[in-house]
Amino acid sequence: MSEIYDIGYRHYDGPRLGRGYATRALTVHSLRGVFGLGRTARSKIIPFALGVIMLLPAVVSIAMMALMSRHGMAYSGFATYMQPVVAIFLAAQAPTVVAPDLRFRVLPLYLSRPVTIAEYVAAKVIAMTAALFLLLAVPLTLIYVSELVIDLKGPPQTKEYLGALVMALVLALLLSSFGLAIASLTPRRGLGVASVIALYLLTSAAVPVIYGTLYSAGNESGAAWAWLLNPFWLVDAVQVWLFSTTPNVPDGGYPPGPVPAVLVLVLIGIGLAALAARYRKAAAQ
Amino acid sequence: MHILATEGLTKRFPTVTALDQLTVTVGSGVTGLVGANGAGKSTLIKILLGLLPPTGGGARVLDLDVTTQGAEIRRFVGYMPEHDCLPPDVSATELVVHLAQMSGLPRTAARERAADVLRHVGLAEERYRAIGGYSTGMKQRVKLAQALVHDPKLVFLDEPTNGLDPRGRDEMLALIRRIGTDFGISVLVTSHLLGELERICDHVIVIDAGRLLRSSAIAEFTQATQTVTVEVEEGTQPLAERLSELGHSAVQHGRLLLVKVAGPETFDAIRDAAVDLDLCLIRLEQGRHRIEDVFREEVDAGV
Repeated sequence: MSEIYDIGYRHYDGPRLGRGYATRALTVHSLRGVFGLGRTARSKIIPFALGVIMLLPAVVSIAMMALMSRHGMAYSGFATYMQPVVAIFLAAQAPTVVAPDLRFRVLPLYLSRPVTIAEYVAAKVIAMTAALFLLLAVPLTLIYVSELVIDLKGPPQTKEYLGALVMALVLALLLSSFGLAIASLTPRRGLGVASVIALYLLTSAAVPVIYGTLYSAGNESGAAWAWLLNPFWLVDAVQVWLFSTTPNVPDGGYPPGPVPAVLVLVLIGIGLAALAARYRKAAAQ
Repeated sequence: MHILATEGLTKRFPTVTALDQLTVTVGSGVTGLVGANGAGKSTLIKILLGLLPPTGGGARVLDLDVTTQGAEIRRFVGYMPEHDCLPPDVSATELVVHLAQMSGLPRTAARERAADVLRHVGLAEERYRAIGGYSTGMKQRVKLAQALVHDPKLVFLDEPTNGLDPRGRDEMLALIRRIGTDFGISVLVTSHLLGELERICDHVIVIDAGRLLRSSAIAEFTQATQTVTVEVEEGTQPLAERLSELGHSAVQHGRLLLVKVAGPETFDAIRDAAVDLDLCLIRLEQGRHRIEDVFREEVDAGV
């Protein structure tokens, strides 16, 4: 084959970095995979198209600030307002993070290296969380920077902006842990996409039905709990509790108190536990 | 020095005992691990990688304990699984670079090592194409490359010749021999074909139903089992009779004659007998033993 150039086998005596480095490398590799970087052009279409759609409201907000000298969309309402796009992104891209390694049995190649199964799962969750966070944080940051540049009357809404970023991170973690858990149960990518989107539609569709039923029965405080079925409104409820923002729902708002926050933590825990169980089983094969 | 050693290693699954009191040592060089499907080869490799806790007994790899130092073992060991394990949508280069990083190599070193090792396994320009379009032979090479990319001290190759055509098989075997000799990396290679391993191994371990059947240097193996296959155009029967008269053990096997080699004189006797009987000698071939033959011998010896 290449006898002429064959200079023989050379041993490697350079540094061998630890598991922290390997976990970071896997995180970056997975994050690149979410956006289709280093893959075919076709796998870049969906993530980047959705990314552009997420920027549109930001552009409108900036235009309103520049031309009409007034605030557009509130920072706190951005994630809730854009929820279908975020949900489609999660459904479309979560399977690309976990499904191929399971379907094509690549996992043994990772497990025969120093990295542990827990670190593998952590890298995948961090990558998906980072991707969703970027999807939300980039438009928010764009709006904030424009706000500073345009210099509207009154102080800049720094606190609102930072609050929205924190909530974007919480939402990203909640969606990732659940989305990846569901996607990892279905090694086929298409099935994973369908499962995640079906769950989102179910939670969204259930809200008005339950809300309407309870509301018409005169149980208004009970009806408020219905909003918490949907992850986006659930996280918004936490935001209202933490930062006293305006609820992004009509009338009454959410149930008060820390219950939504506890629910978020419990749900993240369930998602991560399901992922861990799924991978413990996969590793044993 | 021992590359790996097991001591009374036992692994029981709920319904089956995969390894039963296995005590074996492996030195440097190329070691073959032979056994029928389900003999416990893959289970043994998983335990040696520290991925599966043994039920009883213990094992050390590179003088590290498999139950407590698994991560450290995996830093210096390479593993080529038996089954398909390659994602189709990335190129061989990208996959091997990534897996080198997963073994702890910094990015630039990972790139260099990946290029080096892909060249050594014989993947040229195609390494930039997506793996999905590769032939079985090329995929096996990528699997081998990822096992070598971090310059391990020891590699476990699980059925590396699976699914290859005869030529691909020969090339793979030659490559494995080179890994053990030129590269200076110890190899534990599994197969269910003993004949294959005879060509490349220094030492062969035979296991059956999780028990050690035999562990010996290849020279002992071939000495004990050497036969020569003789094919003549006509007159197989007279030749067999003549050789038996001369005190050689010759067994007729269809159109072929299997003669036990007692020493160089056996070959002379076959040649002379063929000349004396005026036979047309077509082929003299060293007998290739398959795992079944070893089993039969072991069973015979036991009786």
